Amino acid sequence: MQIEKQRKYSSVTVRRRYLLTLGGAALAAPFILRSGLAQGAWPEQTTIPDILKGSGEVRIAGYGGTVQEAQQKAQFQPFEKATGIKVRDFPGADWAKVKAMVDTGNVGWDVVHLGHANAIDLMKTGDYLEKIDYSLIDDGVRREYRFEYDLGMMVHAQVMGYRTDAFRGATPASWADFWDIQKFPGDRAMYGVGPAYPELEFALMAAGVPPDKLYPLDIDKALASYDKIKKSVVKWWTTGAQPTQMLTDREVVMATVYGHRMAALQEQGVPVAISWNQGVAKFDTWGIPRGARNKVNAMKFVAYTTMPIPQARFALAIPVGPVNEAAQKYIPPQRLVVLPSAPEIKKQVVPYNYEWWAANRERAAAKFTKWLLG
Amino acid sequence: MSEPRGILDSPEEKSRGRGASVSLSDLEKSYAGVAAVAGVSLDIRSGEFLTLLGPSGSGKTTTLMMIAGFQAPTSGDITIDGASVVATPPYRRNIGMVFQNYALFPHLTVAENIGFPLKQRGVSKQERTRLVGEALELVHLPGYGGRYPDQLSGGQQQRVALARAIVFKPRLLLMDEPLGALDKQLRENLQLEMRRLHAELSITFILVTHDQDEALTMSDRIAVMNDGSVAQVGRPEDLYDRPCNRFVAGFIGESNFLPAAVRGVESDVVVAECDGVLMRAVSSVRPASGTKVTLATRPERLRFADRPVESGLGVNRMSVTVSEAVFAGERCRYLLKTEGGTSMVLKEASSAAVRRRAVGERVEIAWSVADTIVV
Amino acid sequence: MSVPTTILPSRLVRGSREWGAWKRALPKLTPLLLAAPLLAYMVVFYAVPVVLMLLRSLNDPNWSLDHYVGLPGDTVFLRTFWITLSTSFVVTLSTLVLGYPVALALSRARSSAPLILILILLPLWTSVLVRSYAWMVLLGRHGLINEALLALGLLERPTRLLNTTLATEIAMTHILLPYMILPIANALRQVDPSLARAAAGLGATPWGIFRQVILPQSMPGVAAGVLLVFVLALGSYITPALVGDSREITLSMLIAQQVDQLNWAYAASLSAVLLATALGLIAVAQRLPGVGNAFRMNLR
Repeated sequence: MQIEKQRKYSSVTVRRRYLLTLGGAALAAPFILRSGLAQGAWPEQTTIPDILKGSGEVRIAGYGGTVQEAQQKAQFQPFEKATGIKVRDFPGADWAKVKAMVDTGNVGWDVVHLGHANAIDLMKTGDYLEKIDYSLIDDGVRREYRFEYDLGMMVHAQVMGYRTDAFRGATPASWADFWDIQKFPGDRAMYGVGPAYPELEFALMAAGVPPDKLYPLDIDKALASYDKIKKSVVKWWTTGAQPTQMLTDREVVMATVYGHRMAALQEQGVPVAISWNQGVAKFDTWGIPRGARNKVNAMKFVAYTTMPIPQARFALAIPVGPVNEAAQKYIPPQRLVVLPSAPEIKKQVVPYNYEWWAANRERAAAKFTKWLLG
Repeated sequence: MSEPRGILDSPEEKSRGRGASVSLSDLEKSYAGVAAVAGVSLDIRSGEFLTLLGPSGSGKTTTLMMIAGFQAPTSGDITIDGASVVATPPYRRNIGMVFQNYALFPHLTVAENIGFPLKQRGVSKQERTRLVGEALELVHLPGYGGRYPDQLSGGQQQRVALARAIVFKPRLLLMDEPLGALDKQLRENLQLEMRRLHAELSITFILVTHDQDEALTMSDRIAVMNDGSVAQVGRPEDLYDRPCNRFVAGFIGESNFLPAAVRGVESDVVVAECDGVLMRAVSSVRPASGTKVTLATRPERLRFADRPVESGLGVNRMSVTVSEAVFAGERCRYLLKTEGGTSMVLKEASSAAVRRRAVGERVEIAWSVADTIVV
Repeated sequence: MSVPTTILPSRLVRGSREWGAWKRALPKLTPLLLAAPLLAYMVVFYAVPVVLMLLRSLNDPNWSLDHYVGLPGDTVFLRTFWITLSTSFVVTLSTLVLGYPVALALSRARSSAPLILILILLPLWTSVLVRSYAWMVLLGRHGLINEALLALGLLERPTRLLNTTLATEIAMTHILLPYMILPIANALRQVDPSLARAAAGLGATPWGIFRQVILPQSMPGVAAGVLLVFVLALGSYITPALVGDSREITLSMLIAQQVDQLNWAYAASLSAVLLATALGLIAVAQRLPGVGNAFRMNLR
């Protein structure tokens, strides 16, 4: 019964996507995302290893908004039930705050949601994160998401989002289109200066650099490319909620967005779509601030949320990719193909080069800041 | 015109009469149906020093504010030199005004304060300096021009306010309780000074006060106000000696009131009986025999009459008991009881040569018929 | 200040000579004692963090003035600082122009004064965040103002109001207006009403009364309002971040961004500049003739 319901739901999604595909070029198809609304269809983690059970509490700092809501339903609540550890979660995860907390010895969070790049930079700055205890971590978690000081838990992509009612049927499919103000007139929003890094990759692809030849990034060339679109970018956003809000309010017609944040908009009936093509594939991780009071519980939490079923539930709640190979089994095929981890999508997006950014962040950010504000 | 004109005009100008004549006719002011001023008619002559005297709430200040233009009359008319000013805003009435709280501008120096009305009238800076200097001389504050009001004493501030009110040579000066906030000594000094200024300027002064001494000392005429209307207008001595009613008699100076019944009238003297004693009193009216009247007499006009020689037609006598005796420096004050139980006050100039009366002593008192009036 | 208030010598017994001396000294110490809790609070929660922050701008990673030496040639800092100052100036001016008449009305109103006061204070009871969001709704491309202008035929297509410096100025003017109105109204209320009468009696026209009597005496309030609004505007962050032009950011936003990028020493030096600017303005304002009174308590 429940499976039936979900299948029905998914088929609607597919049909819609198919219809839109007919309207535009096949490759440039606007992608419609759907989160799994039917929570009853989600797999349940009925048993867990005793070693993950415990008592007390664990304090989680998330990014808030739709992502954290999804985490609460998909992971936090079942974690409490399964382990007996109470979860207290806060919005406003911020790597600079982690630094401040550890510096002052007043660590208020046990686990913090980070971009993997943030974790690298924090550890470059000093000894701010605890080592991950891999004896607890599920074997299914892929090698590429395992790091000494943080553990991948959510695969996503930074992509182009746009209003489908803005261009009379024309469909932007590349950064060259994003840069083309004649063909796609209207205001844009792009990432500015803040805790993450400027979207130099997009600027370079717009300037004609092939996706596979992006790194090492030519910063000056990227800025020269940015010059061409500067006037049309009315907002340089700093939090992921901003571009989706601006698209909803018709303040802009196109924006760079976190792909998974667009699903909620589409559910509300906002005429928006994303283009996976030339997006950048990233992943977020859990970090444990050094000296966290509930460090043991934090490790158990990190281990639990990366297990196959919690990962599958997360991917059903909001279209993010699982880091655990085994999670695939619990996700219906119709759902799997819309996640950023799907092979078809992976072909279109560019993997983010964390090593290059770790080595060049300060220089790139300073140059970009000067270009934007100087 | 070649000679610069000062605040004090030449004797010729003076004789022509610089003061404005003010006429109030049926002036009324009511707030939410309650009359604060209920039909005041008054003619103030050019160059006169007139005082509006009355208790608080009598409408004297409201009347003054209507003359100044700060309040519009509900009905009636105000004319200055024959022209109605009811529709004229205060800043065009050209009236000098002195307030009880001085109302000096705290952000301006003394010289700037005094120069303020001149500036409003477009007087040149040079001329302003000259007139301000002259005004400061006039109020005996030369050299104070550079100070700020809060660096002056209360008396000095009031002099500045006075200088400011006359510097632009208004023909009418209004003063609202100008000395109310000052101590007695200073008040008396300033009273004399204001009289002097009035004489020197020969403009019309209208003063509002509740202080009868101030009114009696300074005024040419006094208008006693009560309950929004004028109870009596007259020269100070007229009001004192011939108050027209019990209110005026009681408000100006102290009075003894004796209830009496009219027994007859002899030319302008009324014969009345009080506690079985026949008395004579002056009266402007001729009441019928049997009418109940009140006789008024001033405490300082009574005297102890130990010797019978004083008996005669021109004197009233009565026998009383001393119920209280108070020594008050220049005077002794006795509270007396008549046989009918009426209280009377007698004031006697104190002297070491005069025997003081003891409480409980039975004495005869006497006073002149001319000092007895029917009210 | 040097009298130890916490450690009482043991010989300080009631009735002893020392006790007497203490009792005599007590009235002088009372103001200090009364202020002590706040003083302690301010030292711990304000002075210490500020000093630590200033230290960070000097000793991170090692002792040097590098973070300051670079500022005069730092175009990001210079442009941001200029935008911060000019925005604060515009906001101060517009709150003054809009606020003075309201303050005048408030100071003159009798029965309607509480209502006016509530209307002025109402925005203060709402968070800056909510008020800024409200302005986003109003100023948006399809917000109330654009729709109204379109409906009136004054615009052909929606114009960009949101995400501009003008939007920051409009929203901040609204948000900071109470801080201009209240000190001015307070100063105006202290002007003796009989002075206006006196001035009228001395021949001043209504405009003359305002210009020569009311306005000069309200200047301490104006100075306090101007200073308050300017200093608050200098430090503004939320409103420009939400409704402003993201290329014309304020110093506070730049500081936040630099903190986010872990450039804490640079952020600290920017904070020091912001603090010094605010303190400098207060110091200058206090020395202006007639204005310093606004900050002096009237003890008479």
